[in-house]
Amino acid sequence: MKTFQTFLILVSGLFFLSSQALAVKIEISAPGEQTIPLAIAPLQPLAAPVPEIAKEFQQVLENDLDLSGLFDPVDPAAFLDDARRLGLRSSEVDFAQWRLLGAESLIKGAYRVEGEKLTIELRLYDVITRRLLTGRRYVGKLKDVRRIAHGFADQVLLSTTGELGPFSSKIAFISKRSGRKELYLMDVDGHNPQRLTNHQSIVLNPDFSPTRKELIFTSYDKGNPDLYRKEIYTGRESRLSMKEGLNIGGRYSPDGRELALTLSKDGNSELYLLGTDGTIHKRLTNHYGIDVDPSWSPDGHKIAFVSDRRGNPNVFIIDVHNEEVRRLTFEGKYNATPAWSPKGDRIAFARLENNRFDIYTIRPDGSDERRLTFGAGSKEHPRWSSDGRFLVYSLEEQGKKSVHVMRADGTGNRKISTPGSDDSHPAWSGRW
Amino acid sequence: MEMSRKQRWQQLQSVFEPGFRQMLLVSLLLHILLPILYFSPWFPKREPAKPPVYRVNLVNKIVKNPQAGRPEAVSKQTQPAPEPAKAEPKPVPPEPKPEAIPIPPKPKPEPPKPKPQPKPEPKKPEPKKPEPKKPEPKKPEPKKPEPKPAVSKAQENALQKRLEQLRARAEQQKAEAERKARLDALRAAAAAESQRVASPVKGAPVGMLDGKGDEAGVSATAFVREFIQQQWVLSQHQVSGNPEAEVLLVYNSQGTLQHYRFLKKSGNSIFDDSLIKAINKAKQLNQPLPSAEEFHIVFNLKEMLDR
Amino acid sequence: MQKSMKCLVLMFLLLSLMISGCAKKPVATDEPLVEVEETTVVVDPEQPMAVVEEPIDEAALAREAAEAAEQRAKSGLERIHFEFDQYVLTDGAKQTLADNAALLKAAPNVEVQIEGHCDERGSDEYNLALGEKRALATKNYLVSLGVPASRMSTISYGEELPLDFAQTEEAWAKNRRAEFKIRR
Repeated sequence: MKTFQTFLILVSGLFFLSSQALAVKIEISAPGEQTIPLAIAPLQPLAAPVPEIAKEFQQVLENDLDLSGLFDPVDPAAFLDDARRLGLRSSEVDFAQWRLLGAESLIKGAYRVEGEKLTIELRLYDVITRRLLTGRRYVGKLKDVRRIAHGFADQVLLSTTGELGPFSSKIAFISKRSGRKELYLMDVDGHNPQRLTNHQSIVLNPDFSPTRKELIFTSYDKGNPDLYRKEIYTGRESRLSMKEGLNIGGRYSPDGRELALTLSKDGNSELYLLGTDGTIHKRLTNHYGIDVDPSWSPDGHKIAFVSDRRGNPNVFIIDVHNEEVRRLTFEGKYNATPAWSPKGDRIAFARLENNRFDIYTIRPDGSDERRLTFGAGSKEHPRWSSDGRFLVYSLEEQGKKSVHVMRADGTGNRKISTPGSDDSHPAWSGRW
Repeated sequence: MEMSRKQRWQQLQSVFEPGFRQMLLVSLLLHILLPILYFSPWFPKREPAKPPVYRVNLVNKIVKNPQAGRPEAVSKQTQPAPEPAKAEPKPVPPEPKPEAIPIPPKPKPEPPKPKPQPKPEPKKPEPKKPEPKKPEPKKPEPKKPEPKPAVSKAQENALQKRLEQLRARAEQQKAEAERKARLDALRAAAAAESQRVASPVKGAPVGMLDGKGDEAGVSATAFVREFIQQQWVLSQHQVSGNPEAEVLLVYNSQGTLQHYRFLKKSGNSIFDDSLIKAINKAKQLNQPLPSAEEFHIVFNLKEMLDR
Repeated sequence: MQKSMKCLVLMFLLLSLMISGCAKKPVATDEPLVEVEETTVVVDPEQPMAVVEEPIDEAALAREAAEAAEQRAKSGLERIHFEFDQYVLTDGAKQTLADNAALLKAAPNVEVQIEGHCDERGSDEYNLALGEKRALATKNYLVSLGVPASRMSTISYGEELPLDFAQTEEAWAKNRRAEFKIRR
């Protein structure tokens, strides 16, 4: 008993000693404001004003920045006279005005139209520290106004988050707007759709080369589902894999040197690695079940894929080197179309429940599954933007398919397909 | 049945040595002592003072010995109180000059200091209003005296020009007035925003949950925590991982930041920059503190939603 | 009354006479046979020509028969249906395939492509693989029934070519199928 008492006294004495009278310690475990109040002053004309140009620029920039989810726009109706002043330099900007409006970031810009030539100069300021975060001058044609806006949106994201935005990249997709399924390309906001193929057959499931302006896809052009390669700007097209049976779901490895795909030349669908010349490098799976839909991990060491080897279709992960297979999804009865985030931290997939798909993400270790989409319609084919910020997917509602984008957490959902078109199977390019 | 239970108990007791009961008692006492010790004020807890989970209404006065009450409550007495509090910042402006010198760590904030200081308080904007607007209306006045000598010259053309100028100025003033009205509306909105912290308990007295004093108001710690948190702007899309930084802020009794120092940087420049901006906006607490005080603030994103 | 009785008796007699006449007819049928022989004799001069041509006629007949079998195979090969996410043949499907196998065996020159199809539910890629499994299951069963594998190829269209675009259980059931397309 006595030893116990002395022990107690010792312990409590230690506690007393360790308590120190220092500055008052406070923990703040979340910012009070979780969107950045951003003011976008209207573009000011440096020469004869062309209001449509300024307006289109503003719309594109606002739309991109809205998708980013970073900003809370300051109502332009409240803008003071600095919004209409041409001064772009930090010494010329009346930051006090913008601060009064609660803005933390400010975009000011000016444009000049000379014939077909368009010049736009833009600045992003930090209103609090009055610091120029980024300044850019773009010179192009009048028709480049959207490109310039997307390019500056990328820069705004770079300055605000340390990583470029993906707004200048492209989205490939399959559309039936010509009556047959053909391959198309468009901007990330759905503008400038261009048809790339004229197979008048069935074209499926495109993927971008990470290193070249090139797409791979499957087409029934020659009667069999073969894998094709298409150079986007030269239009050159060739068959990359034409084995008997399926040549589907081609996906470039992150370094662009190999591609994974499903072949069924031996009577059952299996995953293979192919060289870019179409020769088989390696057979990855060997199972009587269905093995499809490969998606590379960004380090190129693993591939997520869909298999029904345990009964229902589920997502599995295979090690490319030792071919060890691990099951990823256990919930639900039908999980398909995995897409590994370029950041590596999550895998998106679609789950079929009550006859419709919804999009989920899960960590590669199988934890922290989250549902991203809700509501009517079937949402399929999730694919990431190259920075992992956004997901593009297709939604089918009442027999009509359309392409949508959202943030990686499922917020900021919006349709980018032209109304009335029948679009699906989107794929997001890398830097363009 | 009872008999059998008693018998079993006796059997059990007989199994153990005689000192068993004492040992049991000691163990029980120790078990009770542990939580008491743990919750005692002198137990060094790893977690920094986290009790301020409650919100604080920033219109409440900072007092030394807050009474028991709720920090987010707004009493009828305290609502007028902010006005005197606003009046105080006016004497504060002279101080900014001394401030500029003692805050050496960041050279960037220095240029903005003179102007932003009045503005960091979007909630108590009344003292700020005059500064941005007054200069403009004032300008026309000094010019007005000029026309008088012009009239004496009787140059009608000049007069007409001046009249036009005057008219232009009048229009400008009108526009200014409109802008002013808009600004007032903005300020009202900002003020309303500052009071969005609604108390779940209606009619509660202003004070601290653990208040033991007799003054209606909130503690400096609670106020500073709320104030700085409200200045801190950061989007979940800007940073990944779990950055944490520690900053020491030294305020004088006027509620003016004397200097600050990063005790620990997060290593994420976006995160650290957002803190510098928040501190920049918190140079003025807009009301005096009971005494000069140092705050050791730990910034992290533990409670950020959707991460 | 007596008159009517007489009438009845007369009719009865007449009837019995007619019946007896009928009974005798088998005898009468022998006679025409003789007549037939006489007619063949008459036709005879024409026959030598026909005899020369006969072997060709038989080939034509065989070809006609083969063509008929081909036609039957072409129009008679029935599609079969599957359960959701299944490529196992149902009993109904097996019966249909037995009929199909008979048609195919009767038309040995017919080559077919077996198309596997799925309903729109499920992922496109998975359905392409599933469609192929359906086509292969169909082919293998026909092989087991004696249809040479060399006469059959397979292709999967997944969910790309539905028969019925409606989003109902019936439409989906209709679309989960294997079809036969004649290649030659």
